[in-house]
Amino acid sequence: MAKQYDVLFRLLLIGDSGVGKTCLLCRFTDNEFHSSHISTIGVDFKMKTIEVDGIKVRIQIWDTAGQERYQTITKQYYRRAQGIFLVYDISSERSYQHIMKWVSDVDEYAPEGVQKILIGNKADEEQKRQVGREQGQQLAKEYGMDFYETSACTNLNIKESFTRLTELVLQAHRKELDGLRTRAGNELALAELEEEEGKPEGPANSSKTCWC
Amino acid sequence: MDQSVAIQETLAEGEYCTIAVQGVLCKGDSRQSRLLGLVRYRLENGAQEHALFLYTHRRMAITGDDVSLDQIVPLSRDFMLEEVSPDGELYILGSDVTVQLDTAELRLVFQLPFGSHTRMFLQEVARACPGFDPETRDPEFLWLSRHRFAEPDVQSPKPREWNSDPGTRSGFTPIGGGRYQSRNARRGLEDVLLRSSSYILPGGGATEESEFLLARETLGGGTVGGRSARGGLRDEALEEADREMSAGGGSRERDCAGGFNLDSSRPNGRGLLMDQNSGARCQDKPDNFTRQNKSKSEITDMVRSSTITVSDKAHILSMHKFGLRDTIVKSHLVQKEEDYTYIQNFRFFVGTYNVNGQSPKECLRPWLSHSTQAPDVYCVGFQELDLSKEAFFFHDTPKEEEWFKAVSESLHPGAKYAKVKLIRLVGIMLLLYVKQEHAAHISEVEAETVGTGIMGRMGNKGGVAIRFQLHNTSICVVNSHLAAHTEEYERRNQDYKDICSRMQFSQVDSSLPPLTISKHDVILWLGDLNYRIEELDVEKVKMLIEEKAFQTLYAYDQLKIQVAAKTVFEGFTEGELTFQPTYKYDTGSDDWDTSEKCRAPAWCDRVLWKGKNISQLSYQSHMALKTSDHKPVSSVFDIGVRVVNEELYRKTLEEIVRSLDKMENANIPSVSLSKREFCFENVKYMQLQTESFTIHNGQVPCQFEFINKPEEYSYCKQWLTAKPSKGFLLPDSHVEIELELFVNKATATKLNSGEDKIEDILVLHLDRGKDYFLSVTGNYLPSCFGSPIHTLCYMREPILDLPLETVSKLTLMPVQTADDRSQLENPMEIPKELWMMVDYLYRNAIHQEDLFQQPGLRTEFEHIRDCLDTGMIDNLCASNHSVAEALLLFLESLPEPVICYSTYHNCLECSGNYTASKQVISTLPTFHKNVFNYLMAFLQELLKNSAKNHLDENILASIFGSLLLRNPAGRQKLDMVEKKKAQGFIHQFLCSPV
Repeated sequence: MAKQYDVLFRLLLIGDSGVGKTCLLCRFTDNEFHSSHISTIGVDFKMKTIEVDGIKVRIQIWDTAGQERYQTITKQYYRRAQGIFLVYDISSERSYQHIMKWVSDVDEYAPEGVQKILIGNKADEEQKRQVGREQGQQLAKEYGMDFYETSACTNLNIKESFTRLTELVLQAHRKELDGLRTRAGNELALAELEEEEGKPEGPANSSKTCWC
Repeated sequence: MDQSVAIQETLAEGEYCTIAVQGVLCKGDSRQSRLLGLVRYRLENGAQEHALFLYTHRRMAITGDDVSLDQIVPLSRDFMLEEVSPDGELYILGSDVTVQLDTAELRLVFQLPFGSHTRMFLQEVARACPGFDPETRDPEFLWLSRHRFAEPDVQSPKPREWNSDPGTRSGFTPIGGGRYQSRNARRGLEDVLLRSSSYILPGGGATEESEFLLARETLGGGTVGGRSARGGLRDEALEEADREMSAGGGSRERDCAGGFNLDSSRPNGRGLLMDQNSGARCQDKPDNFTRQNKSKSEITDMVRSSTITVSDKAHILSMHKFGLRDTIVKSHLVQKEEDYTYIQNFRFFVGTYNVNGQSPKECLRPWLSHSTQAPDVYCVGFQELDLSKEAFFFHDTPKEEEWFKAVSESLHPGAKYAKVKLIRLVGIMLLLYVKQEHAAHISEVEAETVGTGIMGRMGNKGGVAIRFQLHNTSICVVNSHLAAHTEEYERRNQDYKDICSRMQFSQVDSSLPPLTISKHDVILWLGDLNYRIEELDVEKVKMLIEEKAFQTLYAYDQLKIQVAAKTVFEGFTEGELTFQPTYKYDTGSDDWDTSEKCRAPAWCDRVLWKGKNISQLSYQSHMALKTSDHKPVSSVFDIGVRVVNEELYRKTLEEIVRSLDKMENANIPSVSLSKREFCFENVKYMQLQTESFTIHNGQVPCQFEFINKPEEYSYCKQWLTAKPSKGFLLPDSHVEIELELFVNKATATKLNSGEDKIEDILVLHLDRGKDYFLSVTGNYLPSCFGSPIHTLCYMREPILDLPLETVSKLTLMPVQTADDRSQLENPMEIPKELWMMVDYLYRNAIHQEDLFQQPGLRTEFEHIRDCLDTGMIDNLCASNHSVAEALLLFLESLPEPVICYSTYHNCLECSGNYTASKQVISTLPTFHKNVFNYLMAFLQELLKNSAKNHLDENILASIFGSLLLRNPAGRQKLDMVEKKKAQGFIHQFLCSPV
């Protein structure tokens, strides 16, 4: 039996308040859906293990506050992510328009080579739709991202989109993974590796500033 | 509030106040407030020394002027600061923390406020203790000497004054000024005076003298000590005296006391004191010992836990070891096997044949392919394959190939078979074949041999075995040739046991222990087991065979008897023997042995099994084969094998992984907050507002802490404090956090100008868990406190009557353009607020004793502030001292001091040269010049009445010097020379007409 390699990395959900980031996460990790909206005020995370290409991947998914007043703080979490979901609500033109701003924040704060994927959530609310499917596709194409319309409510494309982003991150880190395959018996945590690298970033984020 | 700032201002260069806490010094019944500052000094060699500086202080120490040094306790090797539980009192959570400070010379007891700040303070002190590392040098505390030498400079001891105004003359303080004597200190003084006068003093000591001494003692001098002891004061007072004496930071050695001409009359006084004292301490020690030890360990616990707060992410991740997780997944999979597998029957052919060293001479089909249906699996065993010495010694025989070929050719023609494994030990050989289509589902094939022959080890007897996995079922097939001879049945039992215990298969995962025969779902055991028929003579046996009375004969079968006695093959099953014994025939015939030995017939060749879902379809011998003196035996089984349903397997695996994920997610610390948004309305200058909320913990113990936002040096804005800002929560417990908002001079100006707002977001971080954001909002009511002089001059209206934009604009206006009067409406000469206060004092307080030297009342200050900011000056009704303090606070909170920062050094240079000084003043911006002259005029007015108010130039120069002239470098260093020059500068103006 071949040794199974484990990988751990971080995915981040960002987008306007109320687009359903927490619901996406709950549906994916716990297969639960709550229609009531409770604003995430802070940064939450959950673990999930999935298998991609025969590799067991453990992902830590970070759910961030979407409200504008917290954005200066939530931005600081970007640099720890290997993959980012940019989420809008298909029934909110405004949340779609804001994707541009979110993308530029990602460009500014996320590490280079971070994988992004565009999500148009609440696809079940067809009657309230303000953003066409093609618009989503168009925007994704512009930024060179994959695109999914999802529904946490009906469990549409949830697993698919999370798996896809995971695949993209795996591909992006193919080199490290291949290096790992030659080192038998080792486990890899991408997150861990990057943390090591990130350590000598200076006293500014020593002891007190802990953003994990 | 961080009172270390105030302490810092009193410190010399190189000294740094790490942390400060306000506590209560307990001496007997007296309780005196003290500021305890932990001060670090870095030596040239890089080493650090620490001392605890104890200060008396104004109610709330804001600047160095609010505190006066009382004593210094160096953190020497014998220094200990430990938490003690107050005698006879139950510890109540949330009550003050009582700590005891011990050195070789003194013991002090403090009560510190409950909470994280005190914890931090104690930790810091514990950390700063030099410990007992012999490698490091003893700390020498040379740097503390400067505080000793500084003292005589500042004050010229005049006994009359000491009596009349003790507060300002604390024995060894006044680096920081000591503008006021703290109320507590004064109260303490009165207490002691009262007490001492009520004591009867034998030995001719004059009461008057004793009073005098005590007074001095309380002044913090540590100057006397021994003197009062003679008076027969209580032990407590003795101790106190001793403490004072030695504690005074070592400023005065005991011998020094003599320098005050007080000891001369009583040479024994000192000795007595010491004796009594040391006696008392000796009694004390054992009593406290265990308690101290306990609290020590508590303190170290604290230190340890606080370092954990510094979360090491890599460490946390490695805590979820993947390996462990894999093992858990596997064991769950085994437990849930039935959920994702189903039973499918496989047909097994099991055969055993003792060939007596012969080569194959006939076709084996009658034995191997007698049934119509082709078996799925063949397990074929031989014994006595080769009886030659070569086979025995060199373990090599051509027979292996011959018999393998013979078997392979005789397998059922209805199917194609693949050889899985061949294993041989001398003459014992086992062959395993499966139908080709099953080959893919065979895994983990291992084969082993165990010799039990000569010496109990050789291969002439023993067993061979093949184990494998067919789909999800593990199967072990054993072929054994056990010891011969009728009477040797116990030897045979032993051989069986040896095979069972010594047959070990290595596992794929080398970290797992090897598998034994018994650890298999299905065990098939075949072979020449050599058990005979006993007690019956040969003829009787043959007769019963003739009659086909196998049941009767079976009763005498040794194997049957031994199995029944549970001495061998425990748990195994054998099918009914419906065939005649397979041993011993004349080779080439069906005739019983006719040789000399004339062996009795026996069922030597047997097949047994163990496991679930096994049904035997046939069990027979094959008389047609005549090559050997044994007949071959066969048994056909249907064995139920667990086959994996891939889809169900995936689902089960996913479920297991999901449940593990869920478990892990449930173990992420999580809390709920009773409130996340905090609004502080109408915040006023120096008026504390508090909002509180509760953190309720969930099921996971957690450590919480407010963490800094990136590029910020604190977890919140300067005007805010969270208490406690970190802590530990047990499952289902909760803690109340207080958010305290306090705007002081450091933060007021930017709030006035709008550069800062009452707005902040705090990040509450759980170790290994989530972050919560707390938002703080509110509005600040601008105040003249913290506003620049020129701004106030342009405000003809009360500041609170102006629109916020105007306040902001005027506050941001640079002082230079303000001089360009043409642009703005006619300004006032000086701020009206300043005039209001000065005018009030001029009218009411010109004769006030101790003016500027007694603290005001907080409530009155708030009233004064409101009157000034709303312009309702007519309503002003406050004590003179409060207005005086408000005036000082006003000057102190000016963002640009009256003598502008840029002129500071010029002024110091001119100090002593009045003409030049006046020249410098004339270069000040107009409003600043006006204010300076106005204040000087007022102070001179006060001095005219010094007969009544007891003020003199020195006092006023010392008070106003540090307010009007402030070092532009900030509060970092406060050079004594500079301080004196600043005072001297003001002094000139007080002595000369404006």
